[in-house]
Amino acid sequence: MTKLLEIHNLVKEFPGVKALQGVDLDVLEAEVHCLLGANGAGKSTLIKCVSGALEPTSGEILLEGEPLPPGDPAGTLKRGVATIYQELDLVADLSVAESIFLAHEPRRWPLLDLDKMYRESEALLARLGHDAIPVRAKVGRLRPAAQQIVSIARALSGDVRLLIMDEPSAILDEGEIKTLFEVVRRLTAEGVGVVYISHRLDEIRRIGDRVTVLADGRTTATGLPATTPTDELVEFMVGRKVDQLYPERPVSTDRVLLEVRDARRLPAVRGVSLKVHAGEIVGLGGLVGSGRTELLRLIYGLDQPEGGEFLVEGKPLRPNRPGHAIRRGLGLAPEDRKSQALVLDWSETKNVTIADLSRFSRVLLDVRKERASAHEQLRSLNTVPDDPDRVVRLLSGGNQQKVVLARWLLHECRVLLLDEPTRGVDVATKAEIYRIVSDLATSGLGVLVVSSELEELVGICTRILVMRDGEIVAEVAGNVATEHELLRHAVAPTDAPELTEEVV
Amino acid sequence: MTPAQAAEPDQGGPEFSDRLKALRLQEYGLAAVVVLLFIAGSILKPETFPTWDNVRNMLTQASVIGVLAIGMTFVIATAGIDLSVGSMVAAAGVFGGILIGTDGTSSLVFILGAIAFATLLGVVNATAVAYARIVPFIATLAMFSIARGVALLLNDKLPVSLLDLNGGSFGDPRPFSLLWFGNGRIFGIPASVYVFVAITIAGWIVLNRTRYGRYVVAVGGNREAARIAGVPVRRIIFSVYVLSGLLAGVATVLLCARLGSASPVSGNLYELDAIGAVVIGGTSLAGGRATIVGTFLGVLTFALIFSLMTQLNLSTEVQQVTKGLIVLGAVLLQRSESRY
Repeated sequence: MTKLLEIHNLVKEFPGVKALQGVDLDVLEAEVHCLLGANGAGKSTLIKCVSGALEPTSGEILLEGEPLPPGDPAGTLKRGVATIYQELDLVADLSVAESIFLAHEPRRWPLLDLDKMYRESEALLARLGHDAIPVRAKVGRLRPAAQQIVSIARALSGDVRLLIMDEPSAILDEGEIKTLFEVVRRLTAEGVGVVYISHRLDEIRRIGDRVTVLADGRTTATGLPATTPTDELVEFMVGRKVDQLYPERPVSTDRVLLEVRDARRLPAVRGVSLKVHAGEIVGLGGLVGSGRTELLRLIYGLDQPEGGEFLVEGKPLRPNRPGHAIRRGLGLAPEDRKSQALVLDWSETKNVTIADLSRFSRVLLDVRKERASAHEQLRSLNTVPDDPDRVVRLLSGGNQQKVVLARWLLHECRVLLLDEPTRGVDVATKAEIYRIVSDLATSGLGVLVVSSELEELVGICTRILVMRDGEIVAEVAGNVATEHELLRHAVAPTDAPELTEEVV
Repeated sequence: MTPAQAAEPDQGGPEFSDRLKALRLQEYGLAAVVVLLFIAGSILKPETFPTWDNVRNMLTQASVIGVLAIGMTFVIATAGIDLSVGSMVAAAGVFGGILIGTDGTSSLVFILGAIAFATLLGVVNATAVAYARIVPFIATLAMFSIARGVALLLNDKLPVSLLDLNGGSFGDPRPFSLLWFGNGRIFGIPASVYVFVAITIAGWIVLNRTRYGRYVVAVGGNREAARIAGVPVRRIIFSVYVLSGLLAGVATVLLCARLGSASPVSGNLYELDAIGAVVIGGTSLAGGRATIVGTFLGVLTFALIFSLMTQLNLSTEVQQVTKGLIVLGAVLLQRSESRY
């Protein structure tokens, strides 16, 4: 098969930093080439160099033997290289069709050809198996998963030779991932090359043909078969062995820390009751859209419940008052760290202390004590680099998550609500976060964790509750749970057998 | 997309952690501009520019805009804007003026009346923005018109003389009486300058060294994250518009004290001067980044430029054009160093 993309000795320097220090990569026609690497390994910089968003310092990038125009995104796109970035870069107020054809709208001079735009958008979405997405709806009103599909449709709206996907599955549930993979396979059957970036090793096995691993801005392995054993891949990624991904499972006590009675907010949450005891990690599984995040938001007081009671250590919480929930010992690490948890231009210190500033203030803030306390928490979580003044925007996903956890450690919270705690976090840091959460539970906290990674729930939880359509439909003990079983509960019972066979 | 943004996290060298210090760098830069402007003025107009009289004059005039700009810094830190401060100054002045009436003798009535009225207008802004959830630009644009109308209505479009408070003339006001705030001096420095400096220092402390100040910047930096961290977002937003109103009241006192009258057409376009000073100081219009020192230097920069232009006999029209260009330039500069 012919080489579609060739990268030779690519170097990209930023002032004082070598983000890429000699990367080599070949992508063949009609293959799915997976790119693996820990956060900070240089994956994003690499694909930005290919897509023209960044101009490389030196090295060659050839498409079908001809160099791509460096630092020219439009020119690169014209050559048939389309990129879907990790962060959704859609404009919330545009319609689906307008988003798909943004900047290359079909025109009947001098007017937009709206009919054609809607027609072709529908065709593209149908090609992705998502013709149910309304092309006239505003993108901002779609769920993140549907927005992702729109991004993909947009990438496909031109004539694509090479498609680069940066963690496209991060916000998709199992069913949607399946659809995504079908689309990817259809594209490769047409001869399109795909560069696929993901943290999920199981996905690479399912969709990938070959794998290239980056570490510290270098290719540590390239062209490996996708069947390479996990341990081997992880070693290439981190340069060392991960001792054990999951820590010992904490043991529950019988002291109830958090109790939810019949919580409702239609349509997402339809009467949920649960208890979280001191010392246990309770998992909330289910598909995206089953009401898990919405339930956490109700407990924490971010949305007004339509009914139900929320008790912390037996005393009721005032609904829709996050400040009150925090004072009563709740802490939330939300789903989207960048938009919901952090002030990105602030230092780590300020982000750690924001939920508990009264600790440092009588009339004035004691900024020295503030910094020292934050530093202590950050250090206990092994945040790298060891610099509490660093701007949070510049941290990797894993370290950003540690900053959020440090916030709740400082506050000495009693019940920790975690929403997708390891999304966008590399394998090594994942193991660290599991350890931290497990240690916290062992020290007497109650933890309620939402995750779309079933393996993770099975790995760390004392108990797992499965949600479907806004209700809890199953409870499984962590030590006997299997991914298969959780998935069976998560999808509707009638079509479960068929789905599980294909997915698991 | 700038390289700094595209850089893979965790590989940032030390210079990235210095990002926090960028604000301070801008402050140093602006301080240098202030010094250079003063030197330029001294060279171009050696007899009239570097004189005590001129410096005093500049500072007195700067103090009114300066007080407004400190309030504006808090508003802009939350990613808001207050377009109504100029109109509020006029309305509060006329209100204070009719409050003391013709036989009024108490400066305190005027001072408290004007500040209370401006604060009340600020409360209206605050309610509209924080609770009625009207976009700050629109809410305060409405108040821009409303307050100006109120100023004209209150005394039938006529200005109110405040000289009665001082026996009918500007001469030798008693300390802490109204006209003293415009014309009195301590150690040769105008009383209004002390007010401006005191408010600047208080503003710096509140913004940088109190929980409240931290909350204000958090709300501007990431509203949703602030809410999830337990910041009472609406109350914070409410408070900054009240504060802006309150400081407009203080500015009213300084202005009316200097002029010896309260005019319904005073304070015209003061909001632009205040916003301009805040922006060239380095506070981000997108919120989340605010500097009182920058604002203070921004106010001085404007004052120096216009004093110099006036002495060079450049018309007010030219000054207005210049003002606009400076603000444009400052915003462009801010954007090039930000991460988008």
